[in-house]
Amino acid sequence: MKQRALWSAVLVVGLATAGCGSASDTSSSSGGSTGKLVVWDWKSGEPSAAAYIDKAKADFATKHPDVTVEFVAQPFDQYYTLLGAAIQSGKGPDVMLFNGGGQIRDRVDALVPLDEYVADDKQRLAGWDAFTKDGKTYAGPVTLQGHPIYYNKELYTKAGLDPASPATTWDKFLADCAAIDKAGAKCFALGNKEGAGIQFWLSALGSGVLTAQEYDDWIAGKRDWNSPNVKRVFQLWKDAGDAGLNNDGANSTAMFNDAFALFQSAKAAHVIGLMSDVGHWKDFNEFLTPDKLGVMSAPVVTAGTTPSLAYDGGIGYAVAKWTKDPKVAADLVRSLTSTEALTAFYAEAGAIASDTTIDVSQAGPAAATIVGQLKSGKPALHVALSSKTLDLMGRVSQQLLSGSISVDEAVKQLAASDQAG
Amino acid sequence: MPIGNAQPSVRPVPSGRTDGAAAEAGGRRRGAGSRHLRGGSRAERLAPYVLVAPAILIIVVLRLYPLLLGVNFSFTGDGERNGTTVGIDNYLELLDDSLFRTALGNVGLLVLLLPVAVAIPGLLATFIYLRVPGHRFYRSVYFFPAVLSPVIVGAIFNLLLAFDGPVNAVLGAVGISPVDWLGNPDVAMFVVVGVHIWATFGMALVVFLAGFATLDAALLDAARVDGASLVQVIRHVIIPGLSRTIAFVAVTTMVGMLTSMFGLLYVMTSGGPEGSTYLPEYYIWIQQGQMNRPALASAASTVLFVIMLVVGLLQVKLLRRAGGED
Repeated sequence: MKQRALWSAVLVVGLATAGCGSASDTSSSSGGSTGKLVVWDWKSGEPSAAAYIDKAKADFATKHPDVTVEFVAQPFDQYYTLLGAAIQSGKGPDVMLFNGGGQIRDRVDALVPLDEYVADDKQRLAGWDAFTKDGKTYAGPVTLQGHPIYYNKELYTKAGLDPASPATTWDKFLADCAAIDKAGAKCFALGNKEGAGIQFWLSALGSGVLTAQEYDDWIAGKRDWNSPNVKRVFQLWKDAGDAGLNNDGANSTAMFNDAFALFQSAKAAHVIGLMSDVGHWKDFNEFLTPDKLGVMSAPVVTAGTTPSLAYDGGIGYAVAKWTKDPKVAADLVRSLTSTEALTAFYAEAGAIASDTTIDVSQAGPAAATIVGQLKSGKPALHVALSSKTLDLMGRVSQQLLSGSISVDEAVKQLAASDQAG
Repeated sequence: MPIGNAQPSVRPVPSGRTDGAAAEAGGRRRGAGSRHLRGGSRAERLAPYVLVAPAILIIVVLRLYPLLLGVNFSFTGDGERNGTTVGIDNYLELLDDSLFRTALGNVGLLVLLLPVAVAIPGLLATFIYLRVPGHRFYRSVYFFPAVLSPVIVGAIFNLLLAFDGPVNAVLGAVGISPVDWLGNPDVAMFVVVGVHIWATFGMALVVFLAGFATLDAALLDAARVDGASLVQVIRHVIIPGLSRTIAFVAVTTMVGMLTSMFGLLYVMTSGGPEGSTYLPEYYIWIQQGQMNRPALASAASTVLFVIMLVVGLLQVKLLRRAGGED
């Protein structure tokens, strides 16, 4: 096990050379049930996650008192680069944190399917789909991540709109935006510098544009890019930009956190935000106060659609296939997703935890609305796409905003990328 | 600058040896007076090898071996084809990727912008040398940005160049419509290069000032006596006199632009807008870290390596030629 720690250190400093590790080969370890589990994540270093980690460690210690757990917090910027190096060498942490969707699905070759270990948690926790590939589950969800549309009730009042009943149709929404514009604020705070704006747009508004059948097909991988409704999502994106609904310079505004700052400072009435981590109800509550922050459903664009909240498992812990005893590692994943630990995470870090039994009534109306919508919610549309297609989508979305590409051309490129991968 | 043709510090070994590794040892020339060792002790014959061994080992183990691994890796596949040989598939994919072509195009743009990046510190150094009023003040101020990390510089200019930032506010005050400096694909690359030049020209300026110290002041005086204008002085006295310095600054600036723009790009544009500010190193990072395509990233690295090799060799040649003129 010492060797494993050495290897992580070796990888971290970027010296993944064969010569370095060999000197200590003989000093190899303990074995059997006693030992150490190394966990990689980008959360455990944050003060707000301390209570969560402590609770999870305590829970795990009652099950396996003879196993020590070491959390190694990596910088998120470098996380998947470092993890990629660890996977290449076949040595690394026993348990590691993943974002749901493409990031974990691209790397399941290095992971142990957890289905047999986590069967008891399936009901209590939500968000498994984002960590599932080909019917096998590879991680236990910790938080849920999704894309509610937040709005500023105070700006609604200022614009003469009823803050209690935001628009339910697109036409009404556009009319509201016109009123908000007159009141001196932009309709959307949009940051598309990273190309993430379009992902949020697609997922937050998709349920009001795609029919239920199209939506389910999309998630199942049968994506019809020629469907008029799919094109409409991108057309709306372009139209919103052309009509000046977004803040100026959206392509050079960082979503994290300049766009959210625009919303928090009441320069824009709506923002498509997140449920956990950053840009979410807890952040906005601090600036706008809980009673001014609302969460609305997607306006209906295509008649007959039923808007739903788009969410997935946000982050979850997975077990590496090179770990000595997958059962012990899986138990650690279960401890990291225990109700007690997740309650601490929700309260301290401001996350919608995957555990649906947690009471969030203390967190204000916005959080309560989000949790209330979880039951009818569906997986987010953009999470179903490969990282390559998402990267391309970011670039074509910038081109759509600047007008250097047509919607048809954009959808054509995306279809080609999606079908290739 | 001491350029590596120092005499060997140990006695040369007999000629005709075949050990390639030792032959590589920094291209040391055998002195003309090399004499054959007759009956020198074994230890004496081995001494040169032992002495160069650490340097060679470091280069071979930590540089050449990983390099070869990377090149080898670039001929294997990613994902499901991990570990299998795929021939030149990765290179074909690179050729086919418009993003990578943009990145290479931007390298070309950097080469084209090189004269500007060299001329700015050169001109400013000339003014300081010619003692414009306040030249002492400028000398220290110009160097100041060079001590800032690219991330800090990027963050500062992110604020300055934001759409609703101070630069556009100034433009608005004089009636010019705002420019989306970092959001317009036609200007973003120039902005980032401009910021990079701003952040790094201090170092080149210092080199130029050092070069001026070697300039013969009598020539300047003579030119003035003959009634040469400032432009004529620069054209006929300063530039020829500083040709070595200029060549050196050109080489270091080019290397700097090709290898150390990552921080700025990462902070200022993330390769955007519309992928217009991609450089090969940023592309490599995205493919390896974000797209989980290490083999493709290796192929891109190999291409970048070849480009750097060509550019580097050309510039070494340029340096030699400039040096030879003296």
